[in-house]
Amino acid sequence: MTGVRRDSYDVAVIGAGMAGMAAALFAAERGLSCIQIGSGGGILFASGLLDLLAVHPVAEGRLWQSPYAALAALARGEPDHPLARIDPVSIRTAFESFVAALTSAGLAYAPLGDQNRHVLTSIGTVKTTFGVPLTMVAGANMLAADDRPPCLLVDFRGLREFSARQIAAMLADRWPQLRHHRIEFPGREDVPELYAAHLARALECAEIRERTLARVKPLLGEARAVGFPAILGLGRSREVHAAFEAELGVPVFEIPTMPTSVPGLRLLGALEAVVAARGVRRRHQASVRSLAFDGDTGMAMLELEGVPGGERVTARAVVLATGRFSGRGLTADRGGVRESILGLPVHQPASREAWHQRDFLDPAGHAINRAGLRTDAAWRPLEAGGKPAWTRLFAVGAILADQDWMRAKCGSGLSIATAWAATEQVALQLGASAAG
Amino acid sequence: MSAALFQTTLYAALAICVAGLLWRISGWFRIRIGPDTQLITLSQRLGALFRGVVAALFGGRVVHFFGALVLDVLLQRRLYANAKLRWLGHLLIVAGFMLLLLMHALAAVVTVKLFPGYESTRAPHLFLRNLFGTMVVVGVALLLFGRWRSRRRTGLVSVRRPMAAAFLALLGFVMATGFLLEANKIASPQAFYRMARQSSGTADPTELKPLRAVWASEFGVAFDDLKEPIAAEVMAKGREMHEDDCASCHANPASAFVSYPVARALAPLAGRLDAADADTWLLYLHVLACFLGLATLPVTRFYHVLAAPVSLLVNGASPNRESSIAARASRRALAVDACVRCGICDAHCSVAPLARYLGNPYLLPSHKLIATGALADGCLLRSGHDGESRLVAEGAFLCTDCGRCTSQCPVGLDLADLWPAGRGDLVAAGLPAPAQRVQARPALAWAESLEPNSPSWQHGVADPDACYAPLSTDWLSFSRCVQCQTCTNVCPVVAHSTSPEQGVDLTPQKVMNLLRLGLRDLTLGSRMVWDCAICYQCQEHCPEGIRVADIMLELRALGMRRLGTVRSGSAPT
Repeated sequence: MTGVRRDSYDVAVIGAGMAGMAAALFAAERGLSCIQIGSGGGILFASGLLDLLAVHPVAEGRLWQSPYAALAALARGEPDHPLARIDPVSIRTAFESFVAALTSAGLAYAPLGDQNRHVLTSIGTVKTTFGVPLTMVAGANMLAADDRPPCLLVDFRGLREFSARQIAAMLADRWPQLRHHRIEFPGREDVPELYAAHLARALECAEIRERTLARVKPLLGEARAVGFPAILGLGRSREVHAAFEAELGVPVFEIPTMPTSVPGLRLLGALEAVVAARGVRRRHQASVRSLAFDGDTGMAMLELEGVPGGERVTARAVVLATGRFSGRGLTADRGGVRESILGLPVHQPASREAWHQRDFLDPAGHAINRAGLRTDAAWRPLEAGGKPAWTRLFAVGAILADQDWMRAKCGSGLSIATAWAATEQVALQLGASAAG
Repeated sequence: MSAALFQTTLYAALAICVAGLLWRISGWFRIRIGPDTQLITLSQRLGALFRGVVAALFGGRVVHFFGALVLDVLLQRRLYANAKLRWLGHLLIVAGFMLLLLMHALAAVVTVKLFPGYESTRAPHLFLRNLFGTMVVVGVALLLFGRWRSRRRTGLVSVRRPMAAAFLALLGFVMATGFLLEANKIASPQAFYRMARQSSGTADPTELKPLRAVWASEFGVAFDDLKEPIAAEVMAKGREMHEDDCASCHANPASAFVSYPVARALAPLAGRLDAADADTWLLYLHVLACFLGLATLPVTRFYHVLAAPVSLLVNGASPNRESSIAARASRRALAVDACVRCGICDAHCSVAPLARYLGNPYLLPSHKLIATGALADGCLLRSGHDGESRLVAEGAFLCTDCGRCTSQCPVGLDLADLWPAGRGDLVAAGLPAPAQRVQARPALAWAESLEPNSPSWQHGVADPDACYAPLSTDWLSFSRCVQCQTCTNVCPVVAHSTSPEQGVDLTPQKVMNLLRLGLRDLTLGSRMVWDCAICYQCQEHCPEGIRVADIMLELRALGMRRLGTVRSGSAPT
């Protein structure tokens, strides 16, 4: 009775990390029917902060206040960098629509503007980033203020991944008026170890929230803002954050905890809701067993596994968003680096000796971290001869060559911008073929 | 058939049937399933029944009641949603059987009123009897095929049903004698003469020769004295006689599309069958088999014709969850009684893979339901079979309460309400949850005695690990773990844990870490493994795609199996 399902879509997006989610979202917003294959679990490692471009050149570690100025410098210095190949107006539009979609799913962001912001991390360092969730932005504002006003950081006994005292100690020189205090989480006084997501869920309950705030209020003193670990609600963070600000009477901000974190869960939840609301079919426990293109029609045929009974899908275009090594889009072994699904040629160091610098912490990074797929101007991966491997196969995100997103602090920017640019090409190609 | 014998056997069968039904229906108000029902009195249960009936028929839910009658009982939408082939088979049987009952068995009461001038030989009745009989036979075949195919696909064992085969044989016998009776009448010269006497006023073979010639050559009567070729004018005369005397009251026997070919096959034996008075004894066999079916109705599969619609109507009229304990007490007993053993629940059961690994069918809802009834009835414990009770307890406590059996049941049984009640009865009977035994002591205390080679192991026990899909020993299944804590962060059991004494000892990611360290046996006595709700949040969220919940369930099953082999005296104290 249950045969193998066969369905047809305009686009199949392989991968459900930031790039895959962005590609599915943008494809759906362009009116294309879309199926997305793969687990979104990688997003759990995200902090909710959306980097655009903070560091260039990587070797110098130069930080930029304006990501758009950094993009201009990147275009001059590294013209092959994927972000250098997209015009800044498109990048701005891509970010605006991505953030608008997240906001529509209950994960609100501060207005984007032109400048990077500086955000506290859970180990007391300062991170330069672009898109900041509303629940975190007050911290950036306090840090940006010239006078560094008195602020209070609160943490919870048992939440081992977050120490307010450490943050205050790390920032003691720059921010002497930053106080810290540890409180018990209400109802968990006897539990030795606490986990962020459980506290986040508990704070969505008004009673727990009131008992928590009753413990914070007496500590306020002169503080002009209060910082907490990022546990202010899970799906209803806006509501919890607003309730905290209303009760405490000062701005409240979250500091993202170590991955995997509550902001990661929020981002995954919001992105899942966003693509589902736009009609994207998700196969989040499936993976691609095989992908082939019909030589005549150019149609892609995908065979999925991990779906009960198996599934076969045809798509007019395929977007490869399978990531680099941790996403398993690329596989490295002693023979070299391979692309995992189609065995596409990977741009990589000539030999394994050249993968890494002699110094592991070399600020310039390692050549292996710039390995990946090279594409034509329309984001189509190239075959060995330098031509697009398939007319309607596109690649986005971390699998692309000539970028080191971790060191350049441009991970989200790379994903969102290339997804935007590539889906634009997908729509063009499909429109052209429909017209033709 | 003599009227006296007919009436005596009919009323005897009816009396047995009614008495049996009353006994079974009394069980709905007698049997207590679940500790919460033990103090409910009979009068409370009857009171709840009365209030329920009044509310269903005269309250605001009357629409639901009739909705259930049409959609669930008559159209069988639940079966349709689940197994379309078996739905078709069921529909054919119900329609065929009801029509046979009304149009054929009760012809003197029903059919004569609907068809003025009814004769059993007239069109379309000759054809319809064969059609209805065929519908029943094809329906049974479809049901058996659907069931066989589903069992083959899932590899699960069926509930043993000694009465089922006997009932199927009886049904087959009734159908076969029916078709044979009809076939014999078509081929029988004796029957021809009897009818000829009625319609033409004569039974003289010579006088009837032209008619006999026509009936022999065209309608399959097997005369043994008509061997020579018949002249054309004789045939013409015969057709004339047929038109005058027979055609108005007798359809072409070929319209009995099953019996007619049988009659043609029986033709060489027709003389001997007549001599042996086959007409009479086939009728006896047919009717007496029907009466036997009637008398045994309360104990055969046939009983579901009563119990299943009652269950569907009760559950359709008001949800079990909204009813009082007194009403639920009766509804639980009814659920055990109304199960049709179709096995659809088994095919959807979340722990069905474990039933296969453990070789314990009591994990499967259909088996568990019978055991729950037997426990409440006292039969299970009276049987004195300790091993059986232990298997029942193992099955009951490995259930994850996922509720899929309830959602799929074609009879609409609220099994999700039955299972906790059954577990309560097991605890009351001194068969407590293994988890309680394990959790009385810390994980480390168990680690040694649950090790496969510990001296506390009984001799002669087969390696209990041998029957598992080895997720928990296959390093590929957990080696990707990066200890990111996502599983722990989304775990409702860890979230619910409020004190070290009551809470979990190992979080899910710590269990995964012990597996990575090759310390699987250390996890078997941990609270996490035994408290896991198998909600699959961890598995759904794991960024590395590790089957965390599947591993937890496997560890619990393994612990369960090892626990059964630990001598009670050697368990840690």
